[in-house]
Amino acid sequence: MTIALEATESRRRRWPTITAWDLCRWALAISVTIVVVFPIWWMINVVFTEPGTPVSINPRLYPTSFAAGWDKVAMILRETGYLHAYYMSMAYALLTIAGVLLLGSMAAFEFALFEFPGKRPLFGLIMLSLMVPTAVTIIPTYLLTADLGWINTMQGLVAPGLASAFGLFLLVEFMKGLPKEMIEAARLDGARHFQIYWHVVLPLTRNAMVTLAILTFMKTWGNFIWPLIVLSNAEKYTVSQVVGLFNAPFSHQTVDVVMTANLLAAIPPLLFFLIFQRKIVEGIAMSGSKG
Amino acid sequence: MAQLDITGVAKTFGAVDVLRDINLNIRSGEFVVFVGPSGCGKSTLLRIISGLEEVTAGELRLDGERLNDVDPARRGTAMVFQSYALYPHMTAAENMGFSLKMAGARKSEIREKVGKAAAILQLERHMDRRPGQLSGGQKQRVAIGRAIVREPKVFLFDEPLSNLDAELRVQMRAELIDLHRRLKTTMIYVTHDQVEAMTLADRMVVLNGGVIQQCGRPLDLYDDPDNRFVAGFIGSPKMNFLSATVREVRPDAIVLDDIGGSSASLVVPFRGFDPSGRTVEIGIRPEHVRLAPSNERLDGDVEVEVTLVEELGDVTYVHASMPTGERVIARSDDARHRAETPSRIRLDPSRFLLFDAAGRRIRQSGAA
Repeated sequence: MTIALEATESRRRRWPTITAWDLCRWALAISVTIVVVFPIWWMINVVFTEPGTPVSINPRLYPTSFAAGWDKVAMILRETGYLHAYYMSMAYALLTIAGVLLLGSMAAFEFALFEFPGKRPLFGLIMLSLMVPTAVTIIPTYLLTADLGWINTMQGLVAPGLASAFGLFLLVEFMKGLPKEMIEAARLDGARHFQIYWHVVLPLTRNAMVTLAILTFMKTWGNFIWPLIVLSNAEKYTVSQVVGLFNAPFSHQTVDVVMTANLLAAIPPLLFFLIFQRKIVEGIAMSGSKG
Repeated sequence: MAQLDITGVAKTFGAVDVLRDINLNIRSGEFVVFVGPSGCGKSTLLRIISGLEEVTAGELRLDGERLNDVDPARRGTAMVFQSYALYPHMTAAENMGFSLKMAGARKSEIREKVGKAAAILQLERHMDRRPGQLSGGQKQRVAIGRAIVREPKVFLFDEPLSNLDAELRVQMRAELIDLHRRLKTTMIYVTHDQVEAMTLADRMVVLNGGVIQQCGRPLDLYDDPDNRFVAGFIGSPKMNFLSATVREVRPDAIVLDDIGGSSASLVVPFRGFDPSGRTVEIGIRPEHVRLAPSNERLDGDVEVEVTLVEELGDVTYVHASMPTGERVIARSDDARHRAETPSRIRLDPSRFLLFDAAGRRIRQSGAA
């Protein structure tokens, strides 16, 4: 009798009851997924189909001609400066990542692990800059860059993005979680200030650094306004600017070619996110739980 | 030689006095244990010796050399932290060799010294593992190994066994004693666990409220404490304290009444008692309090209410309540399954320690 009862209970446990609340949550999750994924799917659909088909009277929701898509990709890479734009965007993103990681980690090291006069107001000021919209700072930044003679240069493109308040915040929160005793042990082991940073703190901050690197990549790759302002020379255009040209009102490009350019621009961040999504979520969760 | 002299050391954090006028001479090769309750300043004193904290006043000298302004890494001290503070991204060998690497030592030298320390601590098989792959005891050994590799004049241990389970703690305690015998280096050890202090120390320094209460060999502190705090802190279970009134002062004894509010009157051997003091506090250890046999009644027996019986196998502790509400613990070697009933205890007056109202020990005049 007892055995039979236990068996019934375990069977019940295996099949949890689905409540109305569960259904609502699923419906919401599916709706959000559709809203997010559909534009990307539509882009792929338009590219890998004979021109005109998706927007015809009887549109299809799935790709019908891979060959047509490949032709468009090959045409764009062959006949426009897309590959050079890729190079520019990649250089812009990688240099920004290197700078943000280096400056951010060094500043976070001091803010998170040491005391110095004016630390709190200084950190508050930096955090306050997170509240200021880009539109407000873009003209002064441009004027400064122009004064330095950095218009149409890589340093002009990269330098203003190196000081990342968000990056500093992320790394400070992460480093605050490092045990103070470990820093003291390193001091007793004879490590100098920079050696503590280099040999102890930096390796232990790797996860947060990877997260910041990925987020910085996403942000830099998709940045349109700053490259548009600082790079007027078409030979130095980044991917986002080239895509902008395709989308321009008088570009005389058909929708499917514009979509192909968009798809090519979206591939690197999509790949990055798919590969590193676990690290991104972990990194953000970690920085949030300690503070 | 590694004689450490601490003179007039004080430390304040803001308005809080953490340490006050600390004077201590630690001899070469000595195993000294700082012991005291949480917040007594023992860890701060250790951190001052290591150089992680600066003194507000006073002076530290190691072998005559003034340490106050010497960099922590150059003081000739090595510290083992409570949390081990191992670098999680390095292997055990890299952890142990880190200080040598920072000092710019050759790889062969690092390998040799780390190997030697690993042999002392029987860690050879674990040298390629990272801290996350080691057990608590192994981590602790690596932390000690990291200190050994630096060949310090003074080892500093900050509650190093607190994170270990009871069995491992006993084992590591024995290993530390053995290590001290082999290395013959000065060791300073901080703990709040008085059993650990008693078993490890050549000399114990009891701190409370940032002040050294007493300093001496463990059994001297146990048998002959200077004040009520030391008497109560050393020993487990702790010493019993009972209020009493002095009824009569004789040349070589005093008669105490009203012990713990009872009607018992006891003659306590005591020479040279100052007759101006009328009330005292008696301190008596549980092993000197016995349960009186039910069929035998003496004048000095005290009626008590038994509140708790702790049977530990080899020994039984009987907790009882005096008429004033003061608690008393009696040790019994043979009582088993003793019911929690009214009972009588018998105090041994020759073992009484007397304290005045301020908690200071009242000593006999002319006593050795």
